[in-house]
Amino acid sequence: MSDQYTNEPMLDIYIFETIHLIEQLEETVLNGEKSGGYSSEAINEIFRIMHTIKGSSAMMLFSEISNLAHVIEDLFFFLREEKPTNLDYSTLTDLVFESVDFIKLEIEKIKNGDKADGAAASIVDQLKVYIHQLKNSNTDISEDKPTEQETTKTQYYISQSFSDILNYKHYYKAEIFFEDGCEMENIRAYTIIHNLKNITSKIKHIPTDIIENDGTIQQIREQGFVIYFKANQTFNEMHEFFMKSLFLKDLELTELQDDESWPADNAVQVEISSNIIKGIIPLNQKIKSESNNENQGPTTQGFISVPVGRMDKLMDLVGEMVIAEAMVTQNPDLKELNLDNFSKAARQLRKITSEVQDMVMSIRMVPLSSTFHKMHRIVRDMNKKLNKEVQLEIIGEETEVDKSIIEHISDPLMHLVRNSIDHGIESVEDRRSNGKNELGRVTLEAKNAGNDVVILIKDDGKGLSKDKILEKAKQNGLLHKSENEMSDKEIFNLIFIPGFSTNDAVTEFSGRGVGMDVVVKNIEKVGGSVSVDSVMGFGTTITMKIPLTLAIVDGMNISVGRSCYTIPTIAIKQSFRPKETDIIRDPHGNEMIMVRGVCYPILRLHKLYKVKDAQVHFHKGILVMVENEGKTVCIFADELLGEQQVVVKTLPTYIKRIKKIEGLSGCTLLGDGSISLILDAAGLTNINKQ
Amino acid sequence: MADILMQDELFEVEDTQKGKYLTFNIGTEFYGIEIKYVTEIIGIQVITEVPELPEYIRGIINLRGKIIPVMDVRLRFKKTFREYNDRTCIIVVDIKDISVGLIVDSVSEVLNIPERDIVEPPQMNRGFNNRYIKKIGKVGNDVKLLLNCEKLLTEDEIVDINEAL
Amino acid sequence: MKRVLIVDDAAFMRMAIRKMLEKDNFDIVGEAENGLQAIMKYKECNPDVVTMDITMPEMDGLTALVAIIQYDPNAKVIMLSAMGQEVMVRDAIIRGAKTFVVKPFKEDHIIKTINKVLAL
Repeated sequence: MSDQYTNEPMLDIYIFETIHLIEQLEETVLNGEKSGGYSSEAINEIFRIMHTIKGSSAMMLFSEISNLAHVIEDLFFFLREEKPTNLDYSTLTDLVFESVDFIKLEIEKIKNGDKADGAAASIVDQLKVYIHQLKNSNTDISEDKPTEQETTKTQYYISQSFSDILNYKHYYKAEIFFEDGCEMENIRAYTIIHNLKNITSKIKHIPTDIIENDGTIQQIREQGFVIYFKANQTFNEMHEFFMKSLFLKDLELTELQDDESWPADNAVQVEISSNIIKGIIPLNQKIKSESNNENQGPTTQGFISVPVGRMDKLMDLVGEMVIAEAMVTQNPDLKELNLDNFSKAARQLRKITSEVQDMVMSIRMVPLSSTFHKMHRIVRDMNKKLNKEVQLEIIGEETEVDKSIIEHISDPLMHLVRNSIDHGIESVEDRRSNGKNELGRVTLEAKNAGNDVVILIKDDGKGLSKDKILEKAKQNGLLHKSENEMSDKEIFNLIFIPGFSTNDAVTEFSGRGVGMDVVVKNIEKVGGSVSVDSVMGFGTTITMKIPLTLAIVDGMNISVGRSCYTIPTIAIKQSFRPKETDIIRDPHGNEMIMVRGVCYPILRLHKLYKVKDAQVHFHKGILVMVENEGKTVCIFADELLGEQQVVVKTLPTYIKRIKKIEGLSGCTLLGDGSISLILDAAGLTNINKQ
Repeated sequence: MADILMQDELFEVEDTQKGKYLTFNIGTEFYGIEIKYVTEIIGIQVITEVPELPEYIRGIINLRGKIIPVMDVRLRFKKTFREYNDRTCIIVVDIKDISVGLIVDSVSEVLNIPERDIVEPPQMNRGFNNRYIKKIGKVGNDVKLLLNCEKLLTEDEIVDINEAL
Repeated sequence: MKRVLIVDDAAFMRMAIRKMLEKDNFDIVGEAENGLQAIMKYKECNPDVVTMDITMPEMDGLTALVAIIQYDPNAKVIMLSAMGQEVMVRDAIIRGAKTFVVKPFKEDHIIKTINKVLAL
């Protein structure tokens, strides 16, 4: 990478923009393929995107990406200009996707600070062959079509006969060399000719076909650009004229004596003997603009992109502010004081604080659409490879979740969609013989549900076989309960247990040794949960429940001994002071409580976490009933301290590295600066099961 | 002569932290920790216990909004627990981007221990818990045990956890 | 301080050019990401020089160039082109662009070009 761009923001924006463009391109390509052909807008857009990536990558000196983008740009330029018929869109799309995948991979490397060391040569060659084939099969079109160059050529060159009428006083020859590396020397030459036409119409230049023939670039580089022209201007005036040209390295302007040496029409090398006024001027341009140091800020744009790190910091600060606000307005020093004005101001402060908090949260919210739309590509690839026909339907893509969560659900989602197509949807033949629509359907649906977002992955495939699941579970020794005692849901959920995989055939897409348990783990990482439901022959629905945000939760603070814990309010069903008589103890010493005819297990926090000096008598403490995923547990604590919004902080890295503590999801700071440990409902309900 | 002096000065400006150790004591032993790891020294704080951790990790503290774990070095060295008092200090260290508070009996001073006064620890006495001792520094007639901070945070964690369970 | 309007659909390019020019004390008075915006910004800021990308959505650089030259015949517009756009660059020159720079370009290259164009 070039030194001038090693600064982070340039690289960041390059990565950001390229990823964004690639996503946009993928969608356009998919839509094109689906509708059986690319619209001219689509071709134009792909051309433009590749053009931009080519330019940016070249600036960053990622030459492989730039080269590849260039070839695709060429391809779509051809498609745009020649509009070839009989295009095989499927092959085209494959090629484009292969290229896109290459670019994605390289960008990923760059993002991770690795070297973008991939070689695009083989894809570039494939693309070139494809373009070549296209051109050959469409030669009739390109030959029939008059090229633009020809028409414009006649348009801009003033006819010889007209110029002959004029009698110019002077006759010059100019030999021009452009600076090394200024590129497109032929167009530079053209610019000079274009400007020269304002002065004279009697011009001849070598090489002649500067626009039409790219080969002239090399010729101009090596032999220079030679112009013969006649004009009324003096030598000095003409000299000044040429000097204004940009990127001039050398100019040799000579005034010729007479008309005889006017070059012949097809002259390439004309040597003119002339007694001349010579002026070779090496140009050395070092013009600096005088300027003061005043620097105006950037003009306003519709959007700004902000590094995620700064957003996280802002979120943290707002969290601190919420706590500080509580520390001020609920300060114990103010108790018993009658402070009307203070209360009013405090209320105002609280209102604003909460608005700021909402605003920061909303800034972090991102719609699921781009994550969802990525799945189109997966469906397409799998359809092709597995010879299935599956349609993806997307519902509720506008649903928003916190940015930090989106990053964690993309992979699980991909895995689930792959699973649905690979294992869920039957082959076309099977579907036909079962009287089902041949076209399989996978539906991705997102919706808000309180503080959670629910994402459903539905397929209308063959559904899960309970017998097979049970058999497999038994084989792998995963069954700890009698089959008869298990509900359908419990049986289905066996597929999430590590070491379980229903499909014997390991395919390219799913079953790469990673099973559903990985999906579950990833979702649990962000405090979510996964469950499955299925009807034999009709399909499977997988439900992912993920929190809207990880940053702030409504929590109930409880005390146990001298420790304070926070339970997310959403998980709390009720809390009550139990009577000793309602407690049931089984022979193993497990405690349970009967509430309205249902028996719930009791979890003594002080026992679980070995808290000293805690309340041990039920009638002196309190039970908090917590539910998660249909599992309920009653947590025994000393007392309730009150409800409040808390800013979730993760436990220090050092602690997380030592051990994952069952039932704890993080910690938070309370108004008095003390720390409360946040309990995780999913973890607690599971602890009890074990 | 003048040149040599100049060079010495230059060297010091370049690396002012080199050779400097914060010394503290646990019981009768004096320890030294490279000053580059130390971010601050605070008095004993309210510690929030975190369950299921090895005994030497006493819990977490709130350091101006940042939550950091605290380790009792006494317990880490398998010595007996001693109640905290107003001499007890927490040395906040930053090792490989991980912040940890080290609880020590008391902090004494920052010493400059030149390279020539630092020797390898004796290898013979296996009973002595010296896996966290990198070197030994001699200061006058005293001996300072120089800590290997990285080992303090990583070494034998697995074993310790198993012991704790 | 010379005032520059940067027109490019790629945020990366705009940032790259801005960084290069700001180092050399140019005043970036505006950025536009398509031809339409470019025309509006030109009228609004009246810059000394415009760097104009050719391939852009909504309205391309050539069309915008024509509109800007119509509005201000003395407008100094530098086209930013890539290899392969020779014909378009030529058209741009015919329509009044002062010169062009080929992407990818180096810092001194674009600075020199702008200074030259400003000196015209």
